[in-house]
Amino acid sequence: MARSALWPLYSAAPAVYTFDMSQSEDPITKRQLGLGLAVFGAVGTAAALAIDLLEVGREGGIGPAQALALGIAAAVLLVGLSLIPLGDAPA
Amino acid sequence: MLAASLALGFALLIYILYSVNLIQFPFDYDQGEGFEVHDSALFSRGELPYRDIESYPFYASNYPPLFHLMAAPFVWFFGPGYWYGRLLGFLGSLLTAGAIAWAVNREGRHRWIALLAGLAFLSSNMVYHIGPLFRQHMTMVMFETLAVVALARAWPRRQTKGIALGLLLLICAGYTKQLAAITALAAVGWMFLRRPRAAIGWAAGFMAAGAAIFLTLNIASDGQWWLHAVVANINEFQPRQAFGLFDLWFKLHGFLLLPAGLLLVYETYCARLSIYSVWFTLTALLGGIAAGTWGAGDSYFTTSIAAMCILSGICLSRILGHGGDFRPRFMARALPGRHIVSLGLVIVPLLYLGYARATLKMPTDGAFAALAQTLNIEANVSSGFFDSATFNVGGYARIGYFLTSQDTQAGHQIADLIRQSDRPVLSEEAGFSMVAGREVISNPTQLRNLYLAGLYEGRQLIEMIEERQFGLVILRAQFYPLPVLVAIGQFYQTEAVIRMNGFDYSILYPKEPAP
Repeated sequence: MARSALWPLYSAAPAVYTFDMSQSEDPITKRQLGLGLAVFGAVGTAAALAIDLLEVGREGGIGPAQALALGIAAAVLLVGLSLIPLGDAPA
Repeated sequence: MLAASLALGFALLIYILYSVNLIQFPFDYDQGEGFEVHDSALFSRGELPYRDIESYPFYASNYPPLFHLMAAPFVWFFGPGYWYGRLLGFLGSLLTAGAIAWAVNREGRHRWIALLAGLAFLSSNMVYHIGPLFRQHMTMVMFETLAVVALARAWPRRQTKGIALGLLLLICAGYTKQLAAITALAAVGWMFLRRPRAAIGWAAGFMAAGAAIFLTLNIASDGQWWLHAVVANINEFQPRQAFGLFDLWFKLHGFLLLPAGLLLVYETYCARLSIYSVWFTLTALLGGIAAGTWGAGDSYFTTSIAAMCILSGICLSRILGHGGDFRPRFMARALPGRHIVSLGLVIVPLLYLGYARATLKMPTDGAFAALAQTLNIEANVSSGFFDSATFNVGGYARIGYFLTSQDTQAGHQIADLIRQSDRPVLSEEAGFSMVAGREVISNPTQLRNLYLAGLYEGRQLIEMIEERQFGLVILRAQFYPLPVLVAIGQFYQTEAVIRMNGFDYSILYPKEPAP
């Protein structure tokens, strides 16, 4: 539907072809976005926790900057997981 | 709605009065403004401010060039001065507010809400601070907002010229201040969500253009651009400052963060993400974290405040039945549209009124004394000025109050002391030297940042201090690297302290050599 409506515009503006050859390309879906965010969040969470493992002997446990990073990464992970069930709806 | 308009209109009046007051002041109001004036002066002579900082005059800039290039033509006609840069920043804030109102009206089809959204941006304490300063920050926010508004329209419609304009504005924002990288990430990320392959193509062109400018600057400055604009800007992260500013940001803007967040959640789970939602999320999160670094502050939230004003404006327009149905399908029967509109007619003005009260700042003396008494507020940050944010949070700029003729006199008093010396003067602020017609020597924060990065030794500067080659030294915040401060302490002594803008400026003269 969108393709047929926009096609005359593309024909009249050759410059559009430069980057917009794929006018019918599908958008990222909620599931894809959710998976991406979940992976990003999981890696971030693991990295934030791994700091303690790598810096052996450091005292004081989880510091405020680390806690901030951990909180953000965990939130991204949860948002990502919650988007996955929304399936093929465009993000 | 009228009461909300009046309240936010009053905030605009205070903002205009503050800007007019500040534009006339010929010295630094916010520490570091003078170095931006000096950058503009260097560009006006065709010189780059990215230089070897080890050798005299120990000066380099850590900011990209665009804002200073915009101010350079004014230097040709008026010489180095503060007023035109402050005017540019002020006009940039008005243009940003206009773009916000335009975007809200386009998406929400409610002119009154659009007007309130634009005014809400100017009412923010964080915008108020940074708007009329000789700083590139507000010009960056202006370019960012214009870019996002342009892309929001052009990308879904595949308008090549509009997309190119949006990306060009993003490059302008990035070469005004590096922080615009967050907006670029948000914009390209949103474009990718909508049309991934096309976004990759456009992003490649965008990055190539940005990289070409970067390489040109680096080659032209013999590598100094990389050192000063990138390396010197990597400062330590102070979590307490970041948490404090996040807390303050929410307390000041909570009334509009709520509807902005509501629309963000709605778009995430029930509709498609708009560029405004992606922009708001990334600038609030990453900009807020960046605000916690040394040398940063509340101004780093300004872009997220622009995004918040647009998102909340669209959300509240929809609640009032404009710009499309806001309800998820499962709620449509349970919540008839007319009930939401009725509720909205009460809630929407209250939200903007609450926001106006939360962001209130005003003089409490002179013509405003009676009003301050009526509103039951007292000066809380300086004599004669109330700021709802207070000055208790680290990283929140302790400015905003109006300047008096005594401040101007104090500035001229310091400039006169410089004139009385026949030797070069080391000053922590450039304004005094420029007004006295002397050379600007050193940029203390740049020296400090590079010293902490292990990239500045300061031998020549310390030698000059040890040999008492400077006629006097002017300190305010003591931003110089520790060895430089130690040398100053050993070879110079404080002979006067002059108060200007609420800050103490120590005037140090050379100590007599030991017999």
